[in-house]
Amino acid sequence: MSDTPRPHDPPTEGSATLKVTGWSPGEDVIEVQRSPAPGAAHGAWRTFRETARGLRTTMARIAEGPSTIQYPEEKVPVYPRFRGRHKLHRFEDTGGTGSDPARAGLEKCVGCSLCAAACPADCIRVVAAENTPENRVSAGERYAAVYEINLSRCIFCGYCEIACPFDAITMGHDYELSDYDRSDLIFTKEMLLAEPLERTPLRNEGE
Amino acid sequence: MPRPQPRTITFTIDGRDVSAPENTMLIDAARQGDVEIPAFCYEPKLGQPVGACRMCLVEVEGIPKLQTGCSTPVKDGMVVYTQGERVKSAQQAVVEFLLLNHPLDCPVCDKGGECPLQDITFGWGGGISRFIEPKRHFVKPLELSPLIAIDRERCILCYRCVRFSQEISEDYQLVLLERGAHSYVATFDGHPYVAPFSGNIVELCPVGALTSRPYRFRARPWDIEGAGSVCTLCPAQCNVTVTVRDERALRVLARENGEVDDGWLCDKGRFAYQSFHVDERITEPLLRDGGRLRPVSWERALQQAAAGLARAGASTGAIAGDHSTNEEGLILARLMREALGSPHIDSRRASSLPLELHRALGAPGLQAKVSDLEFAHAVLILAADPVNDAPILDLRLRKGVRRHGLTLAVASPAPSSLDENAATTVRHAPGAGAIFAAALSAALTDDEDAARLARDAGAEPEAVRELAALLRGPVDDVPDTGETPPREVVILWGERLAAGPNGEAGIRALLKIAEALGMGGVEGAGLLEVPATSNGRGLREAGALPNAGPGLSEPASAGRDTRAIAEGLLDGELAALYLLHCDPLRDLPDSELWGRALASAGTVVAHAAFLTEGIREHATVVFPAEVYAEKEGTIVHPDGRIQRLRPAIAHPGSVRSEWQVLAELAGRVGFDLDLLSGAMASRQLFESVPFYAGLTLEEIGGRGVRWQEREAAASFPTPAGVTSAAGKLEITDTPADALELAGFRSVWDAPEVEFSPALGFLFPHRELA
Repeated sequence: MSDTPRPHDPPTEGSATLKVTGWSPGEDVIEVQRSPAPGAAHGAWRTFRETARGLRTTMARIAEGPSTIQYPEEKVPVYPRFRGRHKLHRFEDTGGTGSDPARAGLEKCVGCSLCAAACPADCIRVVAAENTPENRVSAGERYAAVYEINLSRCIFCGYCEIACPFDAITMGHDYELSDYDRSDLIFTKEMLLAEPLERTPLRNEGE
Repeated sequence: MPRPQPRTITFTIDGRDVSAPENTMLIDAARQGDVEIPAFCYEPKLGQPVGACRMCLVEVEGIPKLQTGCSTPVKDGMVVYTQGERVKSAQQAVVEFLLLNHPLDCPVCDKGGECPLQDITFGWGGGISRFIEPKRHFVKPLELSPLIAIDRERCILCYRCVRFSQEISEDYQLVLLERGAHSYVATFDGHPYVAPFSGNIVELCPVGALTSRPYRFRARPWDIEGAGSVCTLCPAQCNVTVTVRDERALRVLARENGEVDDGWLCDKGRFAYQSFHVDERITEPLLRDGGRLRPVSWERALQQAAAGLARAGASTGAIAGDHSTNEEGLILARLMREALGSPHIDSRRASSLPLELHRALGAPGLQAKVSDLEFAHAVLILAADPVNDAPILDLRLRKGVRRHGLTLAVASPAPSSLDENAATTVRHAPGAGAIFAAALSAALTDDEDAARLARDAGAEPEAVRELAALLRGPVDDVPDTGETPPREVVILWGERLAAGPNGEAGIRALLKIAEALGMGGVEGAGLLEVPATSNGRGLREAGALPNAGPGLSEPASAGRDTRAIAEGLLDGELAALYLLHCDPLRDLPDSELWGRALASAGTVVAHAAFLTEGIREHATVVFPAEVYAEKEGTIVHPDGRIQRLRPAIAHPGSVRSEWQVLAELAGRVGFDLDLLSGAMASRQLFESVPFYAGLTLEEIGGRGVRWQEREAAASFPTPAGVTSAAGKLEITDTPADALELAGFRSVWDAPEVEFSPALGFLFPHRELA
C-alpha cells in the first residue's frame, strides 16, 4: 500500500486538509436529482394530484364495460397454428383420392421414434412392436406398442410434428392441461389417439 | 505362416503425402491420412475385397478409368484424388443406382439411424432421385432363421453375408439366387440358415436387409447406449458391447479385439443375453423350507447360510464354476481357507494335478496367444472341439488355414467341424486323449512305445507317426545354422485332457510334446488351453485350487479336489458345500455320484441365476447370481489376457454382487475380509497374485493386458525340469477292447441357451468326447 491516501479512505489523523487530486469520476457519474424535501402542504397536494390522475384513466374506461373473461366458462379462442396438446391420428376412409379403405382405422404412427429423437425436452417415449396378421395396428410393419408423452416436461415446440414422416402426430389446440397428479400428465397412446374434447374454441378468420 | 512384415511407403492423396503399409488397400491407406472413402461391400475382416458396390471409386493418376479403392493396393508414389468432379459424379451415380430399388421405409427399418446407406447417401449422394418407375418388390420380411429376418427389397447386393458364409464361417449356406436386379440372398431350397456364427451377418449387413429377430423393433439408435464388457459364456471371452435401453440388455454386438475375437461373435454370445431378463431367472434369495425353495429376505438367507457354514466349519467344500470372476475365486478361497479353515476348494472338473504341473502349464514362456493360432506353422487340436468349447477359435483356425497357410492337425475321438480344413485328422478312442498324447510324445521322441500306446489309444500308429512328422515340419538337409526362424507350433488343448485316470500322465505327455517341439520361449509357439469353465485360468491363478493358493503358491494345507469333495460329502467327512455358479448335476462329471453326494450334504449354499436341476433339488440356500453384464471384476483369457468386466445393466430384483455376499458371509462367521467395493476386491487380487503385481483396473482398460507381457511375469513360479524328470509316463492300462465313456458339455448346452426364447432351439444334448 502506498502512502497516498485513496479517496474513500477515512481521513487519517491530522489530515483535516485532505484533498483529492488526480482522480476524476469521468462520464460514468450519474447526478442524482433530488426533489425538494416535501413539506406537509406540498405533500398533501401531490398525493391528491396523483390520485386524480389515476382516477382519470379509470373513469375513462368505465364506459367501455368490463373486459374480464370468465374462464373456465369462457375461453380465449386460439389461432389455427396454436400448439397445444398433441394428437395421434388414424387413417380415415374419406373416399377421396389417396384414401385407402383397407387402411382405414389403422394408426398412422409406425413407432419410428423420430419424434423422440427430435424432442428437445426428451418427453416422448416410444416402444415399438411388430404387426402380425392377427393384430394389425398400423399400416407399416411396426407399430408403437407404447407411446407416451410426458406433458409436464413438454415445451410445446412442435418439433415432433415436424419430425413425423407420416403426419401421425400433430399439435392440437387444447391448452387445458392441469391435473392433480404429475403422473396423470403422462399421456398414453390411447389418450392421445382418443377423439379430443373440443374444449378450445378456434379463432375465426380475421378475428 | 509367420506374420508378414509390411514395408511402409508414401503416397499422395488429395495433395497430401501419407505413409501407409505397402499393399494395403487404398481405402484403408486413405484413412491414415484422414481421408474417408465411402464403401458398402468392403470389410477387412472378410478377407479379399470383391469390389461389388462400386462406391469407393477414386481417381488414380496414370490410370484412365476410375479405380475401386477397396481393391487397389497402394504403391509407393501413387497419386490419388478422391474429391474431383469425376469421382463426385461417379459416387452420386452409384448412390442413385443403389437407391433405385431400395425402399425408402427408413422410419420402419430397424437399421434407420445406424445405417451406412443412410449415412453415405447423406454424405456422398446427389440428394434427389430421378427414378419414377415402380421399384422392385419382394415379399416383406422372411424368416431366414429363427434368429434372423431378411428383407430382400432392402438388399443392395454387397455380398458381405454371402462372403461370410462362404469364406469365414465356411458353412456354405447363403447364396445369391437369380440374376441382375432380381438377385436375392437366400439359402438353398429355403432351408433356415442355422449355423453357430449366423448372427454375424446381421452386424455385417450395411442396410436393413438382415435384422436380428430378437432385437427387431425393440429400440432406435438414439434410445440406447452401448456398454462394453466381456462375454463370459465360454472360455473364448469375446469382447462385446451390450446395447442397453431402460436398464435392459436388448442386443449384444461384437467389440473388435484382434487378440481375442477378431470382431466376430458366436450365436450364443450374441443372443443368449435374452436369458438375463426371463422369468426363470432367480432374482431373490431362496431358502429350502419344507422341501421346497421359497423366497426369503436377504437377512434370513444370509443368516441361514452363515449358520450352516459356521456349523460345518473346516468340513465345508467349495466349487467355483462358470462366470466366476478372479475376485470371486479369491474371495471364496479366502472365505474357505481363512474364515472357515477349510482347504477344500476347487474350480476344475478333473482330478487334482500336482502343483508343479499347474506351474509348468502356466509358465509364461510356454503360452501361445490367440493370434498365434492364425500365424503359426502348424496347430494341433488335442482333446478339444473348438466349435463346442470356445466357438470363436473355430473361426480363427479357419482363417489361418484359408489365408495364412496354416497346417492344421486334429486329434479327436469324433468327427469335428474343422476336419475339412485339417491337413491331417487322427481319431482316437473316446476318453483316450491322455493316452493319445502319450503316444504322440513317444512318437516325437522316437520312443519304441509309440506304436503300443497309439494302439492303446485306439489310433492308427502310422497316423500318429505322420502327425508327429507333420508337427516337426519338413526336414531340410541344410544344417541348422541357428538363423532360420524356429518353427512355430501351437497346441490347442482342452482341459478334459486331464480327465480320467490317465489325466496327469496326459498333462506330462503334453509338456513332453511341447519340449520335443521346442516351444519354450519361442514367440508365436506354445500351448493354448481351452479350460472347461469360462474363467478356468483366472480361477486357478486366483487360488481356487485344492493344492494352490493365490498365484499358484504353496498353500498351508492341501484340500480335496472336486471329486473328492463329492466323496467326502458321501462318507460324511464334509458337511456343507458352497457352490459358486456351479450346478454339480449339470456341470460336473459323474452326476450320479453327485446326486447322492448332494442328497447327503447337510447344507448346500449356491449362487445361481437359474434353477437348474441340482440347485432345485438339493440347494439349502440359493443366492440370486449376477450374469456377466451385471458383474464387476476381472477374468483371465486362456492365453493370460486379464480382461475387465463392467456392469452394463442394473441388477434385477434384489440381486446383489457375489463379492458382497461372500464378504458378508465371511463377516457373519467372524472374519473380516476388508471389502467394501468391487474395486477393493480387484486390488486384493492384484496384491495377492505376485505375477499380477502393480496391475490396476485402468491398465487393463477395454482391451485387457496379457500378464505375460508385463514385468511382474518374472515372478511366476516356473518350475525347472518337470518334463525331463518325468521319465517314462505311467499309463494305467484299460481292459482290452474296453472303451471309456467320457462325456463333456458343449458350451451350447447351457441354461443361458435353454432359457433364451429365440436361442432355445439350439439347445443340444450331451455329446461323447
